[in-house]
Amino acid sequence: MDSERFFLKVAETTDADPGTDAAPARLKSRMYSRLLAEQASTGPLLSLSETRESGRSVCVFELLVAQAPVPDRVKSMNPCTVCHARYLAERLDQAPIFWPHCPYSEFHRG
Amino acid sequence: MCATFTSAPVADTAEPPSPEPTGDPVERELVAAVIRKDRKATAEFIERYADPVHAYVRFRLAPRTDLVDDLVQDVFLAALKGLPEFAGRAALKSWLLGIARHKVEDHYRTSLRRMETPELDDDSGLIPVEFPCFDEMIDGARLRDKTRRVLARLPEAYSYALLWRYWEQRSVRAIAAETGRSEKAGERLLARARTQFKRLWEAD
Repeated sequence: MDSERFFLKVAETTDADPGTDAAPARLKSRMYSRLLAEQASTGPLLSLSETRESGRSVCVFELLVAQAPVPDRVKSMNPCTVCHARYLAERLDQAPIFWPHCPYSEFHRG
Repeated sequence: MCATFTSAPVADTAEPPSPEPTGDPVERELVAAVIRKDRKATAEFIERYADPVHAYVRFRLAPRTDLVDDLVQDVFLAALKGLPEFAGRAALKSWLLGIARHKVEDHYRTSLRRMETPELDDDSGLIPVEFPCFDEMIDGARLRDKTRRVLARLPEAYSYALLWRYWEQRSVRAIAAETGRSEKAGERLLARARTQFKRLWEAD
């Protein structure tokens, strides 16, 4: 078999079956932090109250912020930046965090 | 005498029909929510698409697995910036893989520009070699694993040259032009890469 055909066939076959390699949870965690920071840099995030109203669940800490009698400006901040779950999730492969509806926890539970 | 219209007149000033929304409605909703800066949508965006983008980049960057995480993150940052222009004509996953492909090719370009072509002890790399018949080869999953192992053991320049030429299907001329080589030098790089690949393939 000539080399051109061989390589094109191998490429075609390996691309058709890209495998099941999952991205590491700590990479997903770091990307989430980075993307939120990027979004926050161009204006406030959607407030946690509005996030809840749109039908998405929030974690227990976010719920506290969403229900607290604070201005919308505060509810649009990202409490994850000071959360232990983020810290662990960005550094460990299997971080021991089990908060329901915490994105970091969900990345680690796959 | 009155003119009779058999069909509705089309006025020059008529509003063009608004374009039909395209694509998967679930994806459209997710994109809209990410653009609204709904943090949970951003998490879902990553959860849904990080795996295929990571798998693609990891394969394409062999043997440099240390660079994969940064490049995957770059893909998502570029996607975040580009989402308002995402028209939904392709699936979101395909659109993201398109961005990943551009990033990977940028990496090949800059890496191959600064790399010396590894020299073999002899000129055997320039002699056409026969490859095993594909029909006799192993199943897809084993083929992928074997291919990845072999690519990972090649010098970076050879691996990138092969991946760019055969997986991304760029012509030798285009690769040579983008890496500041003559076409002849591009051919030589690929010939040596193929020979080295074959040696490792047979030894694996």
